[in-house]
Amino acid sequence: MGKVRPFWAIPTLAAAFVAALVSTGPGAYAASAATGHDMYLCAGVNRDYIVGAKLVTLSGLYRRTAKGEYEHFGPNYPQIFAISFDPRNHKVFYTATINGCVQTSDGGESWRISTSWDMTEPKDVCVDGNAPDNVYLALPDGIAVSNDRGGTWVRREKGLPARGKYTQSIKVDRTRAGRVLAGCESGIYLTENGAESWRKVQAATATVTQLQQSPHDPKLWLATTQNEGVLISRDGGRNWKRIGGLSTEHAWYSVAFDPTHESRWVVCGWKYGILTSEDAGRTWTVRNQGLPDYHGAFRVSVDPDSGRLYFNIWRRGFYASDDFGRSWHFEGIEGGTVYNFTYISKGAK
Amino acid sequence: MKTMESRKLMMTARRASPATFLSAAALGLAGIVFPSVAGAQPSYTGPVPSRAVIERADYRREAYVKRIDEVLNWRSGRVDRNNPATLDMAAICVKLVQGEDLDLCSARVIELMKDPGTGPFWMFPAVAVAYLGKDKLSPEARASLRAAWSKVLQMRGDTENHWAMYYTSLYLMSELYPNEAGTTWYSGKSSEENLTESKGYLIHWMDLATTLGQGEFNPTHYIGEYMIPMLFLATWAKDPKMRIRGHMMIDWLMADHAASTLNGVLRGANARTDDTSVTERWNALASFFSWMMFGNTPPPANYGGWGIYFAAVAKNYTLPEVIYRIAMDRDHDYTQRDLKRSRRRWRYSDVDYAPVYKTNYMRHDYAVGSYEGGITDPIQAHVWDVTWDVPDPRGVNNTMFSLHPISSAQDMQMYFAEVPDWMQLGVTREGKPSYDSADKMLGSSRFERVLQDKDTVIALYDIPPGTRFEHINGYFSKDLKNLTEDPSGWIFAQGGNTYLAYRPLAPYTWGTTWSWAKDKDKGDRRLISPHLKNGTIVQAASANEFKNFADFQAAIRALPLSFNLEPTPTVTFKSLRGNLLRFTYGESPSINGKRVDYSKWKLFEGPYLNAEKGSRRLVITHGELERILDFNTLSIVDRVLPEKAGDAGSSR
Repeated sequence: MGKVRPFWAIPTLAAAFVAALVSTGPGAYAASAATGHDMYLCAGVNRDYIVGAKLVTLSGLYRRTAKGEYEHFGPNYPQIFAISFDPRNHKVFYTATINGCVQTSDGGESWRISTSWDMTEPKDVCVDGNAPDNVYLALPDGIAVSNDRGGTWVRREKGLPARGKYTQSIKVDRTRAGRVLAGCESGIYLTENGAESWRKVQAATATVTQLQQSPHDPKLWLATTQNEGVLISRDGGRNWKRIGGLSTEHAWYSVAFDPTHESRWVVCGWKYGILTSEDAGRTWTVRNQGLPDYHGAFRVSVDPDSGRLYFNIWRRGFYASDDFGRSWHFEGIEGGTVYNFTYISKGAK
Repeated sequence: MKTMESRKLMMTARRASPATFLSAAALGLAGIVFPSVAGAQPSYTGPVPSRAVIERADYRREAYVKRIDEVLNWRSGRVDRNNPATLDMAAICVKLVQGEDLDLCSARVIELMKDPGTGPFWMFPAVAVAYLGKDKLSPEARASLRAAWSKVLQMRGDTENHWAMYYTSLYLMSELYPNEAGTTWYSGKSSEENLTESKGYLIHWMDLATTLGQGEFNPTHYIGEYMIPMLFLATWAKDPKMRIRGHMMIDWLMADHAASTLNGVLRGANARTDDTSVTERWNALASFFSWMMFGNTPPPANYGGWGIYFAAVAKNYTLPEVIYRIAMDRDHDYTQRDLKRSRRRWRYSDVDYAPVYKTNYMRHDYAVGSYEGGITDPIQAHVWDVTWDVPDPRGVNNTMFSLHPISSAQDMQMYFAEVPDWMQLGVTREGKPSYDSADKMLGSSRFERVLQDKDTVIALYDIPPGTRFEHINGYFSKDLKNLTEDPSGWIFAQGGNTYLAYRPLAPYTWGTTWSWAKDKDKGDRRLISPHLKNGTIVQAASANEFKNFADFQAAIRALPLSFNLEPTPTVTFKSLRGNLLRFTYGESPSINGKRVDYSKWKLFEGPYLNAEKGSRRLVITHGELERILDFNTLSIVDRVLPEKAGDAGSSR
């Protein structure tokens, strides 16, 4: 592997990079809103695709154009699950795909599968905005880290259990280099030293499906789970508790903060559809009216510039709401599943 | 009444649709285009092959080559020069082998490479064309083929067969085009990096298969997805170590296949099969390999599709005589016990790979096979059956078994890196239509435990309330005769020259329709037992052992049997073979008071195949013939053993 820099010991680069912070997943960082954001989607348009089939649809990465259209770029590839950008250069980005980490350093002109056969099917990838050489990869059998921009990858799993380390979601705390939360099969794990060691901060009996950090308060985190409902932490992910009023009967898949309104949160699950809260999680309202009867809820997101709410339905494309779920219109990606919505600050390029 | 010929023509037409029997990977993935009407396949529509052993090696080779040529000529004959669609990648392979229509092949390759496929099912045909056309395709065609490996990000897939195809293909292409920069490969890695990664995985997979056991063991279709890449490796790898590894894996797979087939029909437990092959046991790509290698059963329609790629290179392989004789010798009863392993478990399990303990009892008239239950593959596993021999297996559903038809998101999450809710819905749209159906006959369950001793099977079920689904299904073929529900509780039937006794341990009803199938009423019957604590006992015997069917029934009625379903299903049964079987769900079973200790199970143990767990070394024996495959030394050693007194076939 390449030379490992103990980057977590380096003074936080936040001051230099805060304006350029990359927001991966729903909920963009408000500080960059002034300059606006580019929106990226990882989407699969799957007409019963099976491995090896002729691709008759266009899948992979999409970006929103100035006209508000969704333009495909990069490989036509049905299973790109997540994307994360280097804040120093937005032409450098990493994707979590069924092949492993597939990355580009020229904005998608050329690509490299940077992992080998021993790392497969990552579901999430996250660049450390304060130490952007460091990239974290959520694997079905643990967690891998690259300290050289994807040049080499190593497993860093000290503190994770031998079994139960299936990792679905991985997010770097934007306030401090090397501080990372991982949503795993057996719970939520925290590292504060760049994955040199992990500790369990919340147990789970099934998979933690997504983690999100509030764009307003960096100590506030939300997590969706399969069995434990929706969890909240107000101390940077050290302690968690279940949010009342949200069932534990079925899996929750996705959660988002509205970067334009501190108290607006949104959560979704396959069987529930979409629920919003406008009082910071104290009460929740089902917002399925105007959506197809078949919910199949997969991902939610809020545009950091407009506060527009986006909601993906499995293989039905995604819908948008300009009144936070009170009414909906079809937005795009006909027949598609959006695995991730990502926003990056335009001013940070 | 339809004549045999018209029936076979109908079968031909029916099976011409790839969806009826080909793997989910589907032929279209590799650009295989079938003519609108299949047929005129000499061995598929012709008489059943003779089961007589061909003693002389030169005659065996001649017969093998004749079969290969049959495939090549058939496929070549389907090409219409005026219809480019008929010249697919498989046909191009054949034409290249035959040295025909080379100009057309070059033009067609250029056309096809404008829009390359993605994933292993595209990659290995492309590799075959690249190697077979190395000196025959035009420079422009070869360049277009090479360029295709640059422009489309190939998907690796998520199963072992995908990876075997993917990495063999990438390995061979990287060897064919060495010293080329990462910018010229879809992977972004140089030829050498690709080679290193591919070799690393292939050796890792071979290590797993030869120490812990094969993951996708005895697959009815996916056998092709291992055999074809391994043949390519054995034929084209420059590195002699990889070449011999490919060769040894083919021997390994074929030895296992030979010992597991009843006159060419793969039966018994399968890591993966499908809705058709699980009942019409012959109708599978596995039968193509039996036909090709042993010549003892007809090939499936279109030679299984993928078989064409194997045939294109098959002259580079010769089946060892010892394996041939294992496949052909069904005069002696034998039990073979093997260790296999589950698919990789990502979560909800204490182990990466669960061991699978497989029992295979073979007789002249029938075979009984099983593994101990539980989930080895979440969708397409088949745990146990009794399969009887028939003179012509085409169109015959010659098998009997029961199962718990579970559908479970959690089970699938164990093996797939996916969220729970879409999986049950998704798989039914992706080539596994029965998965979420109560009347399916395919799949394994975590709530099933199986004990097999020779030709007796006891399957016990303890299904928690709320499980999807809360019943068990028993399969009763349209081809059974003399089906009799006896007041004793036994159900008697005859299949071929085999007598069958099926004892449901809980009340049942009958169903005759299959919601997931295109043909809703296939003439088969489904025993439906809607009880959570449940069980099945099946005892098979050869008709030759009894004066008549009534005699068999009387013998079965007389067998001591006691069972309780509450609180936990438990059975004590003295089998037709005089062995006392005690089996309680969730506990180690015993046979004649001796506990079955699976921890002592070897990788292979039986009269024909023997290997220690972790050894990477398989000893294949038949009579005086022995072949040792040793992956530690990458050696194949053939010996002629001293003849034992009275040893006719070495199997007992």
